[in-house]
Amino acid sequence: MQITLKDIARMAGVAESTVSRALNDKKGVGEETKLKILKIAKEHNYRPNQLARGLAAKKTNMIAVFLSEMDSPSNIEIVKHLEAAAESEDYQIILCNTNNQEEKEKRYLSLLESNQVDGAIFIGGKLVGSHLLRASFSSDNSIVLVNRLAEENFFTSVLTDYSSGIYQAVKHLIKQGYQKIALVSGPKDNLVEEEKTTGYMEALEESELKLNHDLIYSTESSREAGYNAFLKIIESEVIPDAFISTKELTTIGLVEAIKMGGYFIPDDFAVVGYGDNILTSIIEPPLTVLSEPLAELAKKSFYFLLKLINDGLDSQKIEVLNPSLIIRDSSIKKYN
Amino acid sequence: MANVTLKNVYKRFGDVVAVRDQSLEIRDKEFLVLVGPSGCGKSTTLRMIAGLEEISEGIIEIGDEVVNDVAPKDRDIAMVFQNYALYPHMDVYDNMAFGLKLRKFPKKEIERRVQEAADILGIEQLLKRKPKELSGGQRQRVALGRAIVREPKVFLMDEPLSNLDAKLRVQMRTELSKLHDRLKTTMIYVTHDQTEAMTMGDRIVVLKDGLIQQVDDPLTLYNEPNNIFVAGFIGSPAMNFMDAVIKKEGDTYYIDGDGTFKIRVPEDKENLIKDYVDKDVVFGVRPEDIIDTSITHDFDVSEDNSFKAAVDVVEPMGSEIYLYLAEQGHSLIARVEAESTAEVGDKMNLAVDLRKIHVFDAETEDVIF
Repeated sequence: MQITLKDIARMAGVAESTVSRALNDKKGVGEETKLKILKIAKEHNYRPNQLARGLAAKKTNMIAVFLSEMDSPSNIEIVKHLEAAAESEDYQIILCNTNNQEEKEKRYLSLLESNQVDGAIFIGGKLVGSHLLRASFSSDNSIVLVNRLAEENFFTSVLTDYSSGIYQAVKHLIKQGYQKIALVSGPKDNLVEEEKTTGYMEALEESELKLNHDLIYSTESSREAGYNAFLKIIESEVIPDAFISTKELTTIGLVEAIKMGGYFIPDDFAVVGYGDNILTSIIEPPLTVLSEPLAELAKKSFYFLLKLINDGLDSQKIEVLNPSLIIRDSSIKKYN
Repeated sequence: MANVTLKNVYKRFGDVVAVRDQSLEIRDKEFLVLVGPSGCGKSTTLRMIAGLEEISEGIIEIGDEVVNDVAPKDRDIAMVFQNYALYPHMDVYDNMAFGLKLRKFPKKEIERRVQEAADILGIEQLLKRKPKELSGGQRQRVALGRAIVREPKVFLMDEPLSNLDAKLRVQMRTELSKLHDRLKTTMIYVTHDQTEAMTMGDRIVVLKDGLIQQVDDPLTLYNEPNNIFVAGFIGSPAMNFMDAVIKKEGDTYYIDGDGTFKIRVPEDKENLIKDYVDKDVVFGVRPEDIIDTSITHDFDVSEDNSFKAAVDVVEPMGSEIYLYLAEQGHSLIARVEAESTAEVGDKMNLAVDLRKIHVFDAETEDVIF
């Protein structure tokens, strides 16, 4: 059972208001009494009732984290970092999984609109819809978007520049001497995947190399799809000497297919994969990967939210972060 | 057809009534401006049309369809607010196209729409640029482009220019009007700025405390205001108001300012004023309708249309001069021609153009003429 303010007052033999003042570091309590109260509170692991405290201070020290997709490993990673950032500022998070459904989002938004949380961070998801747009009109609602776009109104946002990651990967491969670089991307009608393709094309346009549309392969995001993509591509007219994969699971399948075919990485084909995590780390040879700035996305978005909650941001903020290229053996040419 | 109709619409937030009994017919292809001071309900009205606010009572129709229960995304409208985000890592094309892409429009269709919007806005040559390479006006156009590519039946704009500096705002006003001519689509525009309303609107709706005060074209609104509020809100500097009483001497009616002025009621207005004898009224005259008698040549100055007042401040504006006048507790502004030689402290003889004066009922504040 949680110890309350009342319990501490009884144990210390003082009034409840004295305990409250001591715990909140306010004037009017003798040093000795204060120490005594703090000691009891510590011994009994006293935690103030956040909700009650919120009612008094109009703050709950809680934020809602809206997750558009539960199955995305990157999203989960962002949540982990967010929670850590929140904890360090004495905040707790409430996880709201919307499954990309507007109705669910609307229901969870009531947390924000009824001041049960101090602010909300939205990770990923479709274009901002009417419920969120409406919520944004009230300056009381502190909102930060992560990797989510809005058409009509301004939202404080932290975004990933997906094109810049692939751009870096292509530039790196060209520098290593690879000339026929294939891109294995995710589904075509996806904006993020389209941005990645844009980065690929921009890097090629800047180089002497010619863009060959046969080398752009769009597929599902799965291990099988990555596997099949390799089989398909090596049957085409132009055989690539390097692969960039834009999805984690596709990367695994692609590497498997190369090895199953008896080819060597990077001798026969260089590979730049996606996602610096447990899956890609066990691949042999060590894989060069693009790593999304997940920790940074979490930190920045929480920092912005905290500012919005406390004293507001002094200007409109949209921060765009770049993925980083982690170079390992799979893309380093051994012989020229 | 995209006329928008409001029938007896109310919006209540708890005990607060933000919008009262609004009935309004917005015509197809019209540029309608909702104007009023903050808290008058103009943004709430716009958001109800957009579907962002539920209506508490009444009916809203877009085209011939009642949209009370239609989701915003299905209302075939596009909104432009004062705050918008151009994404710094996307070029102009993508900043206009991403919404369509996320809505999974076919690539060809997206290209056509973005090209067309760019053409209308005159930004074809900027499509490959990033936002930081654009001027403020160009950015604003991209934001408009994002609404245009949706090809809506109705555009809803809530103070889209208020974040721009004064010069750019004036320029964008003209551009928006031109844009409306080109798009030939219904536009509903919210502003608190009466100059913006006057220069852009085909018709203007003046709102106060959630109530429609008057709906008219700009000139009618200016020349024939319904009440003191509209008269004072439209026009800059604002109309002068002075307390007065209607007096009858023989067959002639006067607007009597208790010694400060005594202006004759024009004959054609006498039948409107005859029930007001010895009653309190408010006399209204616009600064531009007060004449410095010392420099006028073709104006027939008489005792019936002139009064005396002391000059407090002289504000030369170049093409004209604003005179701040005071007389026995009344203070007023006159906008006179630049040749005026009025100086501070002068006791001037001023005339008013009787065709342009207004008298309001002091109690109801409604116009008498």
